[in-house]
Amino acid sequence: MTRSQEHNRVPGQQASQDDDPFPLDDLVLDEPYRFRVDGRVYTDAHLFALEMDRIWRRSWLYVGHESEIREPGDYRTAVLAREPIILSRGEDGGIHAVFNRCMHRGAALCRDDRGHANHFRCPYHNWVYRNDGTLVGMAQKSGYGSHFDTSELDLVPVPRLEAYRGLIFANLDPAAPALQERLGPSAWYIDQWADRSPTGQMSVAEGVHRYSYPGNWKFQLENGVDGYHGNYVHDSFVKILHRAGDRSRQDVVRARNRLGSNASAKGLPRGDGLLEREDGMLGTFDYASRDEYRRSLVEAHGSARLQDILTQRNLLIFPSVYLFESHIRVIRPISPTSTIVDTIPTRIEGIDDAINTERLREHERFFGPSSFGATDDIEIFVLNQTGVQAEVPRWLDFSRGLERERVADNGERIGHSTDEAPQRAIYREWRRMMLSGEGPS
Amino acid sequence: MISDGASGAALSTERAEAVLFEEAARLDARAFDAWLELFTDDAIYWLPMGVEDPAREPSLIFDDRARMEERVFRLMDTAAHAQLPPSRTQHDITNVRVVETTADWARVACHLVVHEVRIGDPSQVGLGDVRSFPGRCEYVLRHGAEGQWLIAEKTVRLLARELPQYNLTFIV
Repeated sequence: MTRSQEHNRVPGQQASQDDDPFPLDDLVLDEPYRFRVDGRVYTDAHLFALEMDRIWRRSWLYVGHESEIREPGDYRTAVLAREPIILSRGEDGGIHAVFNRCMHRGAALCRDDRGHANHFRCPYHNWVYRNDGTLVGMAQKSGYGSHFDTSELDLVPVPRLEAYRGLIFANLDPAAPALQERLGPSAWYIDQWADRSPTGQMSVAEGVHRYSYPGNWKFQLENGVDGYHGNYVHDSFVKILHRAGDRSRQDVVRARNRLGSNASAKGLPRGDGLLEREDGMLGTFDYASRDEYRRSLVEAHGSARLQDILTQRNLLIFPSVYLFESHIRVIRPISPTSTIVDTIPTRIEGIDDAINTERLREHERFFGPSSFGATDDIEIFVLNQTGVQAEVPRWLDFSRGLERERVADNGERIGHSTDEAPQRAIYREWRRMMLSGEGPS
Repeated sequence: MISDGASGAALSTERAEAVLFEEAARLDARAFDAWLELFTDDAIYWLPMGVEDPAREPSLIFDDRARMEERVFRLMDTAAHAQLPPSRTQHDITNVRVVETTADWARVACHLVVHEVRIGDPSQVGLGDVRSFPGRCEYVLRHGAEGQWLIAEKTVRLLARELPQYNLTFIV
């Protein structure tokens, strides 16, 4: 049997360490001055099933934002490592997350992706639950007799649910560390992101841009913290900026590529990473330079924090979510070769509405499904997926900047903005989790 | 008021169809500069999503004239990866109705299906599939200085507007 026949498995097949078709520890090679990843991590169905078990079912995954369920009765649905859940605001004002699955015969309770309901009623046999999951009614209940125990028929809560700065995360692993412990140094970066609001509150816009692409989820993960591709993949957008006559912005783009510029790419512990630029986006989102806005931030947070807050960052919280300047980007793997991404524009609370509207327009310009930016990235993911079908050339190379990266006391590896330090962080964590045995049962 | 076009000033269905069919022909010929000429200087080209409020939600596209020109520039004068190879399109327009018209203004509704394919090496991921995009359009047309009808607003409500989109990089 050839190698490709050996690992050509049926998607969704239960995976275990025993029937690994090839050694997992050979897929990511972390060597002096050289870092490589096996191309099969983007194509192999068996590895995909293992990723779901060992990474996605054990990680804190972003499931929604508190502003989406402001009022008691508000709910929205989400997918947690392929399991359908309902996120709701209970009468008690608390946030609840339960599986979207009737305890009777397993039908989904919510069809809409968001709405307002104090009760969820199963359409099949009319079992009724409060929106916190408590069973409150069953049709023709007398048929169950007097000995039937309903105490374990409340909707099953998601094992772990915690929020940080309005971002709601859930985890299928009951033994997972607390969210903030998991976030570690990433929490500081989330603080800077949320404090772009003078009230410290971000909220999300009502609509969601969704895009799908026929490629592996990790291409999106790698690219959001990739500072090497901008001038090439986004040449079209750079030309649009040139056409707009913005010479100063062209200089920023050039300066960014010089050593010692005020931009860097960082790999954090636990697979997180970021790309940061003190001078902002490529000729967009200029609101950050407005005096009135800056004054409101200084008033709220103090002048010492202004630069930290206004530094533009793409922050990855491994494995499911990015925080970008304009949006929250949620990654949902469908199969080894199919991914859905939600980009959810944010609103900065406590500032002039006109700025938020302007941010929406800039978001559409660079990030939307008809944009002049993200669409070119997606085309590259698809080129990636085409290329990795060639399995004879085995490796993808992520060595850029290994020699010059600096390791900080808190474990951050800091590289030049075009270095692959964040991608190495992704694959170190990927490898650690993939090698760490079975996921939760 | 609905006009049958007999007055000669208000927009007839035949005249409305001629405008829309001409637009479709220019788009399908990739004559994007000529496409722009069909629009007023204050035109809006809009693909809304759910709540149809551009201040509260992102649109798929919400272009003013400047953004439309940017879009055309990108297609004509830059090597945008998402359009290499370029989309081949066919805009099918049916159910044209003049909803409202005066001598210098008209609202026109129609159905649209855009069929799109990118050929290149059709064995590759992402190429070779024919995709279809059904939607309902609403146009606001205005009489230009030389008596021609120009497009002041083009709104396309795609049937699948809230669903995941895989790169809509052609002009709908």
